[in-house]
Amino acid sequence: MTELFLAELRRSWIQLLRYSTEAIAGIVIITVVFYGLFLSTQYIAGPNLQFGERLDSVIVGYVLWTLAVFIMTDIAGNLQREAQTGTLEQLFISPYSATQVFLTRAIASLTIQLTLLASILGLIMLLTGSRLSFPLAVLPAFITVLLGAYGLAFVMGSLSLLLKQVQQLLGIFQFALLFLLAVPSESWTGSLKLLGLLLPMAPGAGLLRQVMAQGQPLEPIPLLLAMVNGALYLTFGLVIFRLAERETKRRGKLGGY
Amino acid sequence: MQILEAQTLKKSYPVKGQAVLAVRDVSLNIAAGEVLAFLGLNGAGKTTTIKMIAGLILPDAGWVRIAGRNPHQDAKALRSLGAVLEGNRNLYWRLTAAENLEYFGVLRGLSRRVARQRGQTLLERFELTEKRTTVVQALSRGMQQKLAIAVSLIHDPQLLLLDEPTLGLDVEATQTVKTLVREIAAEGRAILLTTHQLDIAEELSDRVAIINQGKIVAEEPTAELIRQFSGTAYTVELEAELDGDRLQKIEAIGAVVQAHTVIVRDPALLYHVLDILKPLPLVKVEKDRANLTDIFLTLTQAYPQT
Repeated sequence: MTELFLAELRRSWIQLLRYSTEAIAGIVIITVVFYGLFLSTQYIAGPNLQFGERLDSVIVGYVLWTLAVFIMTDIAGNLQREAQTGTLEQLFISPYSATQVFLTRAIASLTIQLTLLASILGLIMLLTGSRLSFPLAVLPAFITVLLGAYGLAFVMGSLSLLLKQVQQLLGIFQFALLFLLAVPSESWTGSLKLLGLLLPMAPGAGLLRQVMAQGQPLEPIPLLLAMVNGALYLTFGLVIFRLAERETKRRGKLGGY
Repeated sequence: MQILEAQTLKKSYPVKGQAVLAVRDVSLNIAAGEVLAFLGLNGAGKTTTIKMIAGLILPDAGWVRIAGRNPHQDAKALRSLGAVLEGNRNLYWRLTAAENLEYFGVLRGLSRRVARQRGQTLLERFELTEKRTTVVQALSRGMQQKLAIAVSLIHDPQLLLLDEPTLGLDVEATQTVKTLVREIAAEGRAILLTTHQLDIAEELSDRVAIINQGKIVAEEPTAELIRQFSGTAYTVELEAELDGDRLQKIEAIGAVVQAHTVIVRDPALLYHVLDILKPLPLVKVEKDRANLTDIFLTLTQAYPQT
């Protein structure tokens, strides 16, 4: 698996660097969209508006959303691209299972996404004057969000295997993601709090906001709950993907995009 | 030693709410060093069968073994399988030749070091060393196909599936691929070859299996199949037209004369005819020999599409 991971890492980075204009364009577009929103809000509210801590929360939410969209569309997009370039079936005649190949691939491309994201975050902070803190405590909370995002990515990959053309679905899903990551579930009470714990990625995103934007310490119980949430969604995604692979092979529709 | 064993494979697909049988009880075996040409019209069931063999389509019934392992149950079976699939590029166009070999080598279970070494050897063998650092999209169609075959061999598989390996290639590239297929089989690999270019199938294959409407309608050693469909008549081609005396004698014994050609239907009369023709200059004497195209058309038309 390590050999495969390193091979995927090389493959992704070589392709990114060889065709770097695409990546640069992505960074610029995502940053410009955020800055555009920022300027419009400032214009509507007038020059005296001070975003303060809220701006930091919004940036955390926006950047997380960008990452989650990257991850979410990664496996489904990968399947479609591979089918279009005529390499998909070669991936399925490997002694590694498709789940192993696509999970390794997703983790390898995470390194790219994190690099791109760091660039976007840096640019946004530079443009808006926001100063986010990055304590080490961010990492475990961030991992719980990643686990959930990968779980959903495998679910979207399964839909792509079964339904083939899922671009529109992915487009709609991006907005659902915005809700999941931006909703302040950490401040919910009663039965809503329970719902917040069950929503994918929401508990982890709440923790990130608390740590990065509000400077609060990381509490062990909410972290554990967020971890369980992430692990369950990832397991769910992997199981669904295996079932979808089997069903697609039964239907004989693996390459038919 | 049998490398591929496929037994009574069956697959149906729903079409307008009804199950249509795409493959019906197809059985195929290929031994080490053997080339089986798997022929059929478009939609006859070739691709479905190949994909069932490769573990890409789950059969409704029947089983497949590659070097003794079932690819649908045991992923190790795929270590013994290499495939160049039709209509697919089979390669990453943004990677170079060497990078493709290395990546697919690791994907097939090799270490990076071994994948690199084998990749280097294959590049030399396939005369692609000069192109090792060229991205695939900048290679010619022939070179891309050679590289796809090289990539399919990176993990030294015992079974190679070649689906239309010469499709869209020019004459020179086709010759190169033909030579490579012969060499690869001579190394002891089993090859399942599908092609619509029946002259290539005739040249390369040891055995032929013809599939029509999902059923195998003929499976024989290539030479035997051709012998079965060949006639017993001889054709004698002359340099010049026959004179009146010889023409009369030849027609009298029952041979047919058409311009410069004499057709002798009864082989027992051949030397008698040659005696009459002596000492006229001959271009050639040829026994009737069916070709795979005629045989294929005969067999597929004998079972018309329903």
